Amino acid sequence: MNAVLEATGLRKRFGNLVAVDGVSLHLAAGEVLAFLGPNGAGKTTTIKMLAGLLWPDGGQVHLLGKSPHQNPWALRHLGAVLEGNRNVYWRMTALENLVYFGVARGLRYQAAQRRAQALLEQLELGSKSHTEVRHLSRGMQQKLSLAVALMHDPELLLLDEPTLGLDVESALRVEAMVRELAQAGKAILLTTHQLEVAQRLASRIAIIQQGHIVLEGRTPEVLGRFAGEHYLIETETPLSPAQLSHLRSLGLEGEEPPYVYHGDSDGLWRLLEALKPTPLKKVARAEADLLDVFLKVVGRA
Amino acid sequence: MLDLFWVEFKRSWLYLRRYPSEFVGAVVSLSILFLLLFLGARFLAGPGADFGERTEALLVGFLLWTLTLFAYNSLSFGLSEEAQTGTLEQLFLTPYGPIPLFLVRNLAGLGTQLLILGSIALVLMLLTGARLSFPPLVLLPILAVLVGGYGLGFAMASLALLFKRVQQILGISQFLLIFLLQVPLDSSGWLAKLGYFLPLAPGAHLARQMMSAGASLDWGLLGLAFLNGLCYLGLGLLIFGRAVRAAKRRGLLFGY
Repeated sequence: MNAVLEATGLRKRFGNLVAVDGVSLHLAAGEVLAFLGPNGAGKTTTIKMLAGLLWPDGGQVHLLGKSPHQNPWALRHLGAVLEGNRNVYWRMTALENLVYFGVARGLRYQAAQRRAQALLEQLELGSKSHTEVRHLSRGMQQKLSLAVALMHDPELLLLDEPTLGLDVESALRVEAMVRELAQAGKAILLTTHQLEVAQRLASRIAIIQQGHIVLEGRTPEVLGRFAGEHYLIETETPLSPAQLSHLRSLGLEGEEPPYVYHGDSDGLWRLLEALKPTPLKKVARAEADLLDVFLKVVGRA
Repeated sequence: MLDLFWVEFKRSWLYLRRYPSEFVGAVVSLSILFLLLFLGARFLAGPGADFGERTEALLVGFLLWTLTLFAYNSLSFGLSEEAQTGTLEQLFLTPYGPIPLFLVRNLAGLGTQLLILGSIALVLMLLTGARLSFPPLVLLPILAVLVGGYGLGFAMASLALLFKRVQQILGISQFLLIFLLQVPLDSSGWLAKLGYFLPLAPGAHLARQMMSAGASLDWGLLGLAFLNGLCYLGLGLLIFGRAVRAAKRRGLLFGY
């Protein structure tokens, strides 16, 4: 698959602080990369370098083969919702903002108008087309920021905390949009502190800590790697104390269903043999969630 | 680019139409400023002083100063405001690049600025009884002044980009513009010779001569005025380009 985003060896230092050190990221069409890390880890600095807003001290960024630091038209391939910014003009209406930024991104005026109307309908903001942004709710403003990023139909989206401060319904709507956009072939780099959102959306995960990428991989593989050799065993009825004391010697843990088994698959088969004929409801390999992974990685780093 | 000009023009027009109090505020405050200067000068000159044609000259100078002021400080104020409100980075994501975008923005904003200026002129003509002759050709030296004014504006905007809070410097430096617009080129001495090289001075001198003294257009001086304006515009753009690079290197496009 051709890379939409290819960043290699990015470095950035502010005075004595090394903000980003040797970060490489790549993203193909249709992929969602959750770019995670604690505050101050270097996420926003990296994103600004990817968007051409901050010059790296070292390394390169290419958007579909073009460097945004050398060729401004590379930015035609990129849309961004930047965290902590309003991203839109509060004194203009939703429609006026979209048309303005659409043209500023290289669209013709008529095309920008058609695209703006379509996006407003798609984002359920049609009834607010002629409302000044300052009168829109936080959720609507955030959806509008996303629409601004989408106006010129870029191949790559950089979404820095796109669901921050949104109510549950708006956050779910934005989440659904991100999923739809990825299915439509957009490459999306997403940063968020809401790890459950990242887990639901991301096909790949990269965790940055103190300017270094400390973990990167496909989401199921990363979660599987961190789950380890843990199995959940659920019986139809709780085990008797006598059964429990016997099974504990084989590695079973827990007082009531679901029980947990730590060990390899041979040991699991021995345990299941010993459980006969107790009716089983479920036997499954335990999965780590992204929060577990994040805490382990960041804690270890 | 034409589409970009159109959306920028619409944007400045929308702001004017949607926030008329700002328009009225600008007209009233600038008119009051002129009246204070005018009345102050009469007071200093003593009772019985009659300015006669000097009123027209003062008014022309003031209007030219106001127009140059718009060209000079609107970009800096705009950049400071956008850095504060958080739209500056979105502007820098334009594939046109920041310099073409801000050049177009300057040009597009000229329409609303001329409307404000025209309103001030009308108010002041009514209040002072001054009558301005306005030959269409006078637009040419004014244009030369504006070109130079935009150059100075880009240079100031470089400071706004790097330091964000430049209102104090802008406030003080705009009085320097008064000096530049009033440099007499028709006298002898070093100041008149130097005046040809100072920003805005040749075009301002020509416009003043044409509007207040009814002089005809001196094409040679107009050529010099444009050369002067284009040189300062080029210099301003060069400085701004370097400031953009410095801001991107130091991470100054975000935050206020």
